[in-house]
Amino acid sequence: MMLLEHDAKELLAEIGLPVPRGALVRTGDALPLMPPLVVKAQVPVGGRGKAGGIRPVRDPADLDAALASVLGMTIKGHDVRACRLEETVDFAAEAYLSFTLDAGAGNVRVLMSPHGGIEVEDETTRAGLLGEGVPADPKALRATVDRLSVRMPETLRTPMREAGRALVDAFFAYEAVLLEINPLFVRADGSWTIGDAKLSVDENAFPRRPRLQRLIEDNPDLYREAALKLEQGFDYVLLDPDGDIGLVTTGAGLSMQVIDELTGRGRRPYNFCDIRTGQFRGDPARLCQVLQWIAEGPSIRSVLVNFFAGHTDLGEIARLLLIALEAVPQLRAPITARFIGNGLDQAREIVAAAGDPIAIETDLERAIDLAIERADRGEPAHA
Amino acid sequence: MPETFIAASAPIIVQGMTGRSGRRHTQAMRDYGTNIVGGVSPRDEDVGGIPVFRNCADAVAATNAVGSVAIVPPLAVLPAILEALEAGIRTVVTITEGMPIHDAVRARRAVAEAGATWIGASTPGIAIPGRMKMGFLPDVSLSPGRLGVMAKSGTLSYEVCHRLVGRGLGQSLWVGVGGDPVKGTRFADMLPYYAADPGTDALVIIGEIGGDEEEELARRMRELAFAKPVFALIAGQAAREGVTMGHAGALIHGNVGTVDTKTAALTEAGAQVFTRIQDLVDAVAAG
Repeated sequence: MMLLEHDAKELLAEIGLPVPRGALVRTGDALPLMPPLVVKAQVPVGGRGKAGGIRPVRDPADLDAALASVLGMTIKGHDVRACRLEETVDFAAEAYLSFTLDAGAGNVRVLMSPHGGIEVEDETTRAGLLGEGVPADPKALRATVDRLSVRMPETLRTPMREAGRALVDAFFAYEAVLLEINPLFVRADGSWTIGDAKLSVDENAFPRRPRLQRLIEDNPDLYREAALKLEQGFDYVLLDPDGDIGLVTTGAGLSMQVIDELTGRGRRPYNFCDIRTGQFRGDPARLCQVLQWIAEGPSIRSVLVNFFAGHTDLGEIARLLLIALEAVPQLRAPITARFIGNGLDQAREIVAAAGDPIAIETDLERAIDLAIERADRGEPAHA
Repeated sequence: MPETFIAASAPIIVQGMTGRSGRRHTQAMRDYGTNIVGGVSPRDEDVGGIPVFRNCADAVAATNAVGSVAIVPPLAVLPAILEALEAGIRTVVTITEGMPIHDAVRARRAVAEAGATWIGASTPGIAIPGRMKMGFLPDVSLSPGRLGVMAKSGTLSYEVCHRLVGRGLGQSLWVGVGGDPVKGTRFADMLPYYAADPGTDALVIIGEIGGDEEEELARRMRELAFAKPVFALIAGQAAREGVTMGHAGALIHGNVGTVDTKTAALTEAGAQVFTRIQDLVDAVAAG
């Protein structure tokens, strides 16, 4: 997962890398820094500058307005919930450095260029960009940094070697998937600091990287999905606040596909979820939680459940789903469940005995069409 | 990739056999016909009469196993793979979710150095339908046939294959490559095997957004002049950049790894690409 620039810089600073003085502010926070400074939108995507999410502010009188306008932005679908205020840096050169785990090659791709700045996003067209694939080993990476930095313009050689070596340590300390510094500011005296940092980390490494886990837990408003996953143990993403079809689905790929099938029919699904039925172990808590979130959707008119049970028992799932529906009476939309696999007959019996509050289908196409029909009919929930 | 990917009768061990999942999956694999010859566990409990050994080396020495299914906690996956390789295991399937990526990189290197095959990090496994399975692909979706199946997503492949089986179309060899960004076996790695396999008439590829595996597969198809029909489904059309959709690998950055880039690459290489399941199923049935 991509960390916000502010957090990436704080993490780098914690292990001794130089970063410009800065602070994170949310709406209403006191301002710990005054202009001249740069207001930087904190969203986990590239292209913030082009979208207007990076604003230099010289006059203190302009800060409130600049901050308010950036905090009100949405960049590539991400609401800007916080900004980093950062001191302005005087620099003589902007360089580029990155370390990327190359999933295909199974090694680390090191890129270095004397020309930083936003254009580097299109790597292949850059002149002066040096790259090498290296085994994921600190010693090999440091040697590569040394080798590549020698080929930089003379004034950049030492700063890029130093920065590169420090970044190698950071790459392993945080089990990074991507660590990109663009630009690396190099001052006239040869000292350097980090202009922008992209640090993507691996959630699977959190059990042995408590610092990273704490970062997410401390900022659940900024890392909504990741914080939820840490807290709940499954994936949930709010896709479209005005969506009218809520989804209770399991399996990452099939859950994504159900969303595609709905959008392909011109519909607006409310959420993504991979609830992991295999981990229920007799507890309806996850179902209750997801149904509660769906019930918060102001436009919800239909709920589609899709469980392809390879191993889980559908009778048990149906029983838990009925308990969850009872526990979330505020959910007023009709429930359509696609069940297939072990225990289907038992699931039917259990649902029938409860007065058929759930429409069961075995075919996914039919279940999707039925959930849509019921949304369009404005069918009330079964009492 | 050897011409015979793995023999249907290959002797297989289960690492972590006596845990809750280990027991369940071991039983299910054996019921399906897999030649499970032993397990590895610190505990002295056999599973349905299958002998348990302290470590892989002892298990291999006693059983001549060539394959292993590791059912161990996330941080124990890398040590399990290294132990299996050390013992001479040739094919390792790891089913655990949550293996750290840096561990996966190390595992890949060790597997490559040993000249072995690793399916994972997280995968529902592989199957030669009607003969054997390593992992937990659901029986309801498995049927002997002539389609080679490769999938990043377990559940989506269950759905697709279930519908294909309903149309009378089963599988020759099904490989769940898994949804992790760094993995043991990628789509392209399997292509030479499927090209050479006389039992495979066509390929069904279940891809998804993120990474460049589909693009790499397209390149390999052209390099090998792959002549069998390829039908691909790419999930994640509606995903947003910067938001993970369940699989760690299913993450779009910039213009890389989108449904459009994958569709374009595969289409140019001669594959038929779909975004709806039923369209793919109809095309395979017609083809």
